[in-house]
Order: sequence, then C-alpha cells, then structure tokens
Amino acid sequence: MDTFFANAISFGVIFLFGCVGEILTERSGHLNLGIPGIMCVGAAGGCLGVKLAAMPTDGANGFLVVLSGILFAMLFAGILGAVYAFLTVSLRCNQNVTGLAVTIFGVGFTSFFINNVVMTEGVSTALSFAGQNFFNAHIPGIEALGWFGTVFLSHGALVYLAIAIAVAAAVVLRYTKAGLNLRAVGENPATADAVGINVTGYKYTFTVLGAAIAGLGGLCYVMGYMSGIVGSNVDQTIQGIGWLSIALVIFTLWKPAFSILGSIVFGILYILSSRITGISFEQIPLLNLVPYVVTILVLIVTSIVGHRETQPPASLGLSYFREDR
Amino acid sequence: MERVKQPLIHITKRAPMPLWKALCIRAGAVLLALIVCAIFISASAPKQKGFFGYFGSLFTGVFGTERRFLLFLQDTALLLCVALALVVAFRMKFWNLGGNGQVLMGCLACAMCMYYLGGKWADGWVCLLMFFASVAAGALWAVIPAVFKAFFNTNESLFTLMMNYVALNLVAFFITHWYPTGTGAMPPLEDANLPTFGSGVAGRVLPVVLVAVIVTAAIYCYLRFSKHGYEISLIGDSKNTARYAGINVKKVVIRTLVLSGALCGLVGFLLVGSINHMVSTTMDDNMGFTGIMVAWMGKFDPLIMTGVAFFIIFLSRGMGQVCTDFGFTSEALSDIVVGLIYFFFIGCEFFIVYKVHFNFRPRAARAQPAFEMNGESAHKAAEGESPSKDGTQNEPAMSEAAPLIAEDAATMSEGAKTADVPSMSEGNPEAEPPPRTRRAKNGGNKEGK
Repeated sequence: MDTFFANAISFGVIFLFGCVGEILTERSGHLNLGIPGIMCVGAAGGCLGVKLAAMPTDGANGFLVVLSGILFAMLFAGILGAVYAFLTVSLRCNQNVTGLAVTIFGVGFTSFFINNVVMTEGVSTALSFAGQNFFNAHIPGIEALGWFGTVFLSHGALVYLAIAIAVAAAVVLRYTKAGLNLRAVGENPATADAVGINVTGYKYTFTVLGAAIAGLGGLCYVMGYMSGIVGSNVDQTIQGIGWLSIALVIFTLWKPAFSILGSIVFGILYILSSRITGISFEQIPLLNLVPYVVTILVLIVTSIVGHRETQPPASLGLSYFREDR
Repeated sequence: MERVKQPLIHITKRAPMPLWKALCIRAGAVLLALIVCAIFISASAPKQKGFFGYFGSLFTGVFGTERRFLLFLQDTALLLCVALALVVAFRMKFWNLGGNGQVLMGCLACAMCMYYLGGKWADGWVCLLMFFASVAAGALWAVIPAVFKAFFNTNESLFTLMMNYVALNLVAFFITHWYPTGTGAMPPLEDANLPTFGSGVAGRVLPVVLVAVIVTAAIYCYLRFSKHGYEISLIGDSKNTARYAGINVKKVVIRTLVLSGALCGLVGFLLVGSINHMVSTTMDDNMGFTGIMVAWMGKFDPLIMTGVAFFIIFLSRGMGQVCTDFGFTSEALSDIVVGLIYFFFIGCEFFIVYKVHFNFRPRAARAQPAFEMNGESAHKAAEGESPSKDGTQNEPAMSEAAPLIAEDAATMSEGAKTADVPSMSEGNPEAEPPPRTRRAKNGGNKEGK
C-alpha cells in the first residue's frame, strides 16, 4: 500500500508539471491545446540532454546529468511553446487549431527524434542507467522512517521540483504583482492594456514558461517514472497524459495549489489498473477510463454550479488585438 | 521637435483582400513550408537524393502504382467525411474535438453487429443494422457533450476530448473481452462484410469514394441552401441574434451535433464494414484532429476542404515514400512535415487579415503615407480643425498636423475629435470609420513642443 501511494505520487507529478504549465498559460488567456505535443517534445529534449551528459556512463556526474536533462527538456518545450505563442499572440491565429497543430507536430517530432537522433548505439543503457541512478536517486536511509519515508521521501529530484514549481506558481499568482497583472491579462486584456500592463509581454512570457514547465512533465515520465526506459510508443502515452493534464486544469479550477492534490488523485486513478491485483485482463481498459470519466463529471458539475471562482479566465481562447472594438 | 516614440512594428487590419491575392499568400506559405521541409529532409537524410528528389518521391509515393493511387483516394475520402462532419459543428463555433472518439464508436458499434450477428442473420440484414448502429453510436458520442453544452454551457472542447479516450478504452475493453487470449489485436471477421464493386482494391475503394462524394454534395447544399444551414451560421456569428430571431439555440446545437456525430459514425461504418472488417484502438488514425485542420484550412467551405483534404493526404502518403527513398526508419516524418505545413498555413492567415508596418525611419515615412484614405481624410479633418480655438487649446500642435506622417495626423484628428465635438464625424463623413491606428496611447499630445 505504501508503494502504491509512492507510485501514485511519482506518476501524479507528471500531471502536475503539465497542469501547472497549462494553468500559467491559461491565466494569460491562452488555451494551449498543444500541451500534449509540448510534453512529448520535452521528453525528446530531455533524452537528448541526458544522452549528451551521461554518454560515457562511468565518468558521468549525476548532478550534471539531471541538470542537462532538465535544461534541454525546458529548452525544447520552450521553443515549441514560443512557436505557439508567436502564432497565437503575434499572428492572432485561432488557439484551438494552433494548439492541435502543435500537438500533431510535437508528437510526430518526438517519435522521429527519439528513434533517429537520440537512440544511437548504447544510448538506451545509458538512459536507463541515468534514470535509475540519477533521476530516481533518493535520500539514503529513508527506509527507517517507515511508511512516511516510503510515501513522501523516496522520490527523485523531479518530484520535489514539481511540487516546488506548483507552490511557487501558486504564490506568484496569488501574492505578487506579476501574478495580479497576469490574471488581469487573462480576464480582460483590453483593461490590462489600458492600465499600462504589457499584455503581449505577459502572454509571451507565461505561454513560453508554461510550455517549458509542461516539457518537464515529459522528461519526468521518461526519466523519472519509467527510469529511462524509452518504449516504442512513448509519444502516444505522453499524448494521453497531456490531454489529462489539460483536463486536470479544470479539475483544479485554475489553482496551482489545488493541482498538487488533484494530480495525486489523477496519479492514483491512472496507475490503478496496473497495480490492483486480482482483476482480469479485460477489466484494465475499464479502469483506464476512470480518470477521463471523472474529468467529465467535474466539467459538468463546475458548469452547473457556475460559481464565479470556478470559471475559466474570461478571455480564455480569445485573441487580443488592441485596435479591435 | 521631439521625436515621437514609435513602436517598431505596427499592425493594422486590412480591408478585405481580393481572392486571388489571398490565394497567392496561401500558396506562397505552402510552397515555403514545402521548401523548408525539403531542406530539412535533404540535410538530415541518411541517403542523399538531392533537393528535387524529395518532390519526385512525393509524387511516386502517391501516383506510382494503381494501388497507391486508390489508397490515396480512399484516405482522402475518409478524411474528407470526418472533416465535413466536424465542419457543421465548427460553423456554429462548437469545438467538436471528439472526431476520433465518434469514429471509434462507429467502428465499435459496427464491429459489435458483425461479431454478435454475423453468420446468424442474413448478411444483408446485418449490414443494414451495422449502418444504423454505427451512425447511432457516433451520434450518441457527439450528442452527450452537446446536451450539456446546450443546457449548462459545459466546455465542449475538453468534454469531447475526454470522450475520445473513453471511446478508445471501450474499444480496448471489447477487443480483450472478445479475444481474451489474444495479443490485443482482433482478426478480420469473415461474415457480414459490405459488398464490393468488383474485385481487388478498386472494388473496396469505390464505395467509400462514392459515399464521400455524396456526403460532400449533401453537406454543401445543407450548409449553403437549407434553413438549418442558415441557422447554424447565425448561431456561429451571434447567439444572441439567433435567439432574438426566434431560433431555439439549444435545439439547433443538439440537432447539429447529432448530424456531426452521425457522419463520424458513418466513417466508422465504412472503416470496419468495408475496409478492415475488424476494429482496433488506432483505427481512427487521428482523423478527428486532422479533420479539424482540414476544416479550418478549408475556411469551413466543403469545396475548398476537398482540395485541402487531397493535399494533406497527398503529403502524408507521399512522405511514406520519401522515408523509404531517403533511408529514414521512422514513419513519423510525415507528421513533422504535415505539422510544419499547418504552422505556415495557419500563420499566413494573419497576413491576409492584418497589415504590418515597419517604422524603421519615421521621417522617410512622411513622404509615403501608410494610409492613403485615412491620411487624406485626417488631413482634411486636421485642417478643418485648426481654426477652431478650443481644438488648438486642447491640442497645441494641431496646426502642425498637416506635415506630420499620416498616421500621426490621423491619430491627432481622432484625439481632437474626442476632445472637441463628439459629433465631428457628421460634418466630415470621410473621417469615418475612425482610423485604425495607435490612438490608444495618448492622442497627439507627445507631438507638442
């Protein structure tokens, strides 16, 4: 049972990265449906970064490997996020369509990139070595703490990074001037502009930053949860996780602090089918669809209740052109 | 004189562009994208075939053999049907992102009929039931989000997205339920296959193409000439206007989504009944998403969409050949190329709607006003304004407006208008519509000495 919850947390943070990234993006008024593609690209970039730093396995510095993985994941995801931001902020394209194009491109790119560029001779062993020893390295001696140690302290660095980012995002959104401005941009960019807030700047910054954070989710799946084992359909799996991350944004009502709990709930639901013993083979798909059904139910309930606090940012999905009336 | 601080890039809306010019921009964007792809591929390919070898491979991949060409037609027909199904919803600004799920549910319903009734009933009856079951299943998958959208304004794009994965897992469940010992794949069923016209690939492809042609014509007429089509467009433009005109918006939303889902279900029926005779979780081939791109790039017009669907399938099938010829092992290359085309195509719309001005040399810009019409009218406005005393009080630089660059003059006249007489536009009709320039910041105040 302890291991189950530990696994749920280590899977849930993948959602957490995607969710916090998407919350920051949506708070600037942009519904980024490209998050699944961006997470995939993050995984591809992360693999490249780990490969570059860890290739001679014996001399590799664990800290540098993790750092390089994180930086490359954020760089790759950030670049794709910048493409999305350029198309939707500057060129004012339809956000749904652009997002889907980003997803299609990102998923294809990841499959291509991992197979043709990253996976050269001997890389898979280097990746799994780095995944097991560096990304999942935990504080020694936590077994002595019993269930508490297993559930909360047995994780790799990325798990704590995810929670730190979520907390930071919550604080920034709630208590800082930048967060207030960001929320203003998402609610009503024209008013924010009139006050003198740099609308374009905020939209760019937080779309790219959100994409970079989401890209860490891809890295977290490949190097953290899978311990560096890159399966053949890794792009499809991350795509599914990405859609759920977007759904999680609604589940958590656009609040990064809630998303920590929400992601763990989703993590539990997601790994439920593979951890419960005594179910038959055919019941696995039925358990797999639980997170999606739960999301649908939350969508329905929040829309019926219709409380102001539970609504998306008012200008979500709309392009802002200053000279429009 | 203090120089005005101008943004380097200044964007304005264009007047509607002539069609040929818009088409030129789009064609240019696609060409640019293809060249970028060609450079990318010829730079990274393990096997070199030269820059133009890429285009040659594209064509042989699609038109090389009769079989390839027929499959090209078949894929286009299926994609076009899905895109047409989605476009009826998009016209209403209902973001049906659930095409994949609706197609899969159509597939599943069809396969269920074949599995449970094939061999027990006469094939004709089973085929008939398959048709109705597929269409109903697809419609059901679309109508659930539609009902909640209509009554509670639930976010439909995320709802339909989630429905995709529910459908996918249901398909996975039934496959494992029917073949518990298998590898998760389903063997083709022998009974109750749809009749083919003749033998071989051609006989299988022909009915699909025929259906696509009929559906295209029907949807074109439905959207263009029927009352329903008009109601859909009206709701898309303004829900309030539609409500005011006495249209029952809820009813139209639900009715349209039934049609949308039913068409997706029809595609599922063709996929299982006529082409594959089995169902798998990847059978939708992401057509729901590709269909969205087709609908968008086709400007929601069934006829343009036909061309776009041909182009997209041409690329994705041609890329298969390119991969083989250039020695790539991954088929995902086609997604990259198609994705790049999307980016360029989506991005070029901006240059059709908006105009970009670069303010590198503000002084040089004075010789050639960026806005002929607005500049002139603003000119007049400014001249008409300058004798007025209160105008000059508010705007000290008003009398100097004439030699300024047109945009600034326009800006100032706007500022003077608001400061002076609100009904200014009545006396000076040319000044309407107000110049769409940077009037937001601070009128012409900065220009003052």
